[in-house]
Amino acid sequence: MRPLAPPLTLSENILGYLSFLNRALKANFAYKASTVLGLFTAALTYGITVLVWNHVYDQKGSSLNVTRQEMFAYLAMAFCLNYALTINIDQRVGQRIRLGLIATDLLKPLDFQMTQAFQALSDCIFNGFIALGIMAVAFSALGRQAFPKSPEAFGFFLASFFLAFIIQYSIVFFFIQGAFYTYSGYGIFASRIAVHHTLSGLQAPLTLYPPILRSIGAWLPFQHVVFTPITLYTGRAEGAQAWHLLGEQALWAAGFYLLGNLVMRKALKQLEIQGG
Amino acid sequence: MLTVPGGLPKMLPLYPMNSALQVQNLSKSYKRRIRQPGLAGAVKALFSTQEQELHAVRDLSFTLQRGERVGLIGENGAGKSTTLKMLTGILVPTGGKVEVLGRVPWRERRQLALNIGVVFGQRPQLLWDIPVQETFELLKTMYRIPPDIYGLVYKEAVRRLGLEPLLATPVRHLSLGQRMRCDLAAAVLHAPAIAFLDEPTIGLDLSVKEQVREFIAHIQEKFGITLLITTHDLKDITETCDRLLLLDKGRLLFDGSIKAFEQKYASDRRIVAETHRPLDSSVAGPLSVEVAKKGGKLIEAEGHRVVVEYHEEGAAPNLIQLLLQQLQVVDINLEKTDIETIVTRIYRQPDRAGD
Repeated sequence: MRPLAPPLTLSENILGYLSFLNRALKANFAYKASTVLGLFTAALTYGITVLVWNHVYDQKGSSLNVTRQEMFAYLAMAFCLNYALTINIDQRVGQRIRLGLIATDLLKPLDFQMTQAFQALSDCIFNGFIALGIMAVAFSALGRQAFPKSPEAFGFFLASFFLAFIIQYSIVFFFIQGAFYTYSGYGIFASRIAVHHTLSGLQAPLTLYPPILRSIGAWLPFQHVVFTPITLYTGRAEGAQAWHLLGEQALWAAGFYLLGNLVMRKALKQLEIQGG
Repeated sequence: MLTVPGGLPKMLPLYPMNSALQVQNLSKSYKRRIRQPGLAGAVKALFSTQEQELHAVRDLSFTLQRGERVGLIGENGAGKSTTLKMLTGILVPTGGKVEVLGRVPWRERRQLALNIGVVFGQRPQLLWDIPVQETFELLKTMYRIPPDIYGLVYKEAVRRLGLEPLLATPVRHLSLGQRMRCDLAAAVLHAPAIAFLDEPTIGLDLSVKEQVREFIAHIQEKFGITLLITTHDLKDITETCDRLLLLDKGRLLFDGSIKAFEQKYASDRRIVAETHRPLDSSVAGPLSVEVAKKGGKLIEAEGHRVVVEYHEEGAAPNLIQLLLQQLQVVDINLEKTDIETIVTRIYRQPDRAGD
């Protein structure tokens, strides 16, 4: 009879998460055709967005306070950022809740929320490398316009991107808790995507949005996933203003992470495992 | 205190009490929306708030000592899996108390997870898209399994469950039987103090079932694992367990040794005799009277076959002697009702636990 094992130490926990990350990354390579199709769909969406904006600039380009080149550089960055931050844990967890497989996830000695964060990180790393390739193509087409304004701006961007990942993950994790009540992740996934696409700045800089949408967006975290990192990258916010934006991002990241944790605890108390 | 060869650093002393788990008046009920059949019923249910309460587990109490091997049986919907999910901390009970290895499972799920192994038949814990070996390696780190323990269990699992050709295969390419074997190995890689096995042989063919049972019995004995198995295949119980819990509609109907179970529910035994010549129809009547005098009951007397049932201990010699005297017997067998027949009979009783 073995003696009982004591709780894992912090370093043992971290090793566990890193080991999970390693396997999650490997699993990302399992479906090449699906990855290519996803990339094609995203590129198509981006292409259509560019065509629409091109048409808008042909019609009323002079009335907009963003040049055509700046707009295309913004859209390229937004596309790449969004691609890198495409986190599939809501579909994955939603399906596992629907099929009752979530039971096996909850039986691990690691924290469920943190494990999902590392799953999201694996998505981000995998998609990030693909996004880097796309960025290289976009940069060669757009030239200097696509480069960060300064090394300082690039530093702010990197910090902002890291925080954007935590916000994006925390939002996804928060939303997916709803599946513990609805037992299907699809509706939740669809509503999150709709809000994200509208308010993150993926389709256009938020400065071009109608005032009402801008006001709503200002009170929500979605703008900090795409719009804020690009704002810092392009140097439209510098110095104290840049630090202020990073602070806002950090608050949203921490807030949503904690909120997700609270909701998860409540959801698990009333959990039913589907399928007996 | 027992230790593992090579010694294990940072281990807590054994749980001071000898009990592995204690369950007191455990209950779990669910609320279900009432839904009428058909499309109209589905539409109506969208606007209906009518609910009914379903009692999955009611007032369940039992204790398991460390190292015990216990089978939990019951019909579909008897509450077996729900009980296991509460014991592992996945579900929060509606009422009652549970302590597993001194911890309240749903409050200390992660800490408990380090010391338990769980198989939910048809719900694999293996990572779906990568080779089996990768999951094993992940579990090794995740559960902080000492190398000597990992090496020992891994070797045994690979050998006894025939996993060698499967290790490099992505889980999604495995058959059900292959996956179940790998999943069982994954559940016990850390030599847990308790293994909760929910239908570990579901959907497996006979030879794989046998492999699985042998592995469970071996690993249990090697590490003194407390075993709680739910199954519909009673051979799983007879080959790996000493004690039986019978659940019926969420209530505990029986708790005791398998022998006690047989004694309680299967006091009837049979003598089956084969005669040299076909029996004359006139024989049955007088034979029935004689058999009754010796404490038996003639069940069948047709063709070459005679079947006598008896309940009293010690009646067999007299009944056999009677049959040998009265008939030209060429073969004779004593039959005991097997556990499957007993359980089937219990399930068929309309007024057992009741609602």
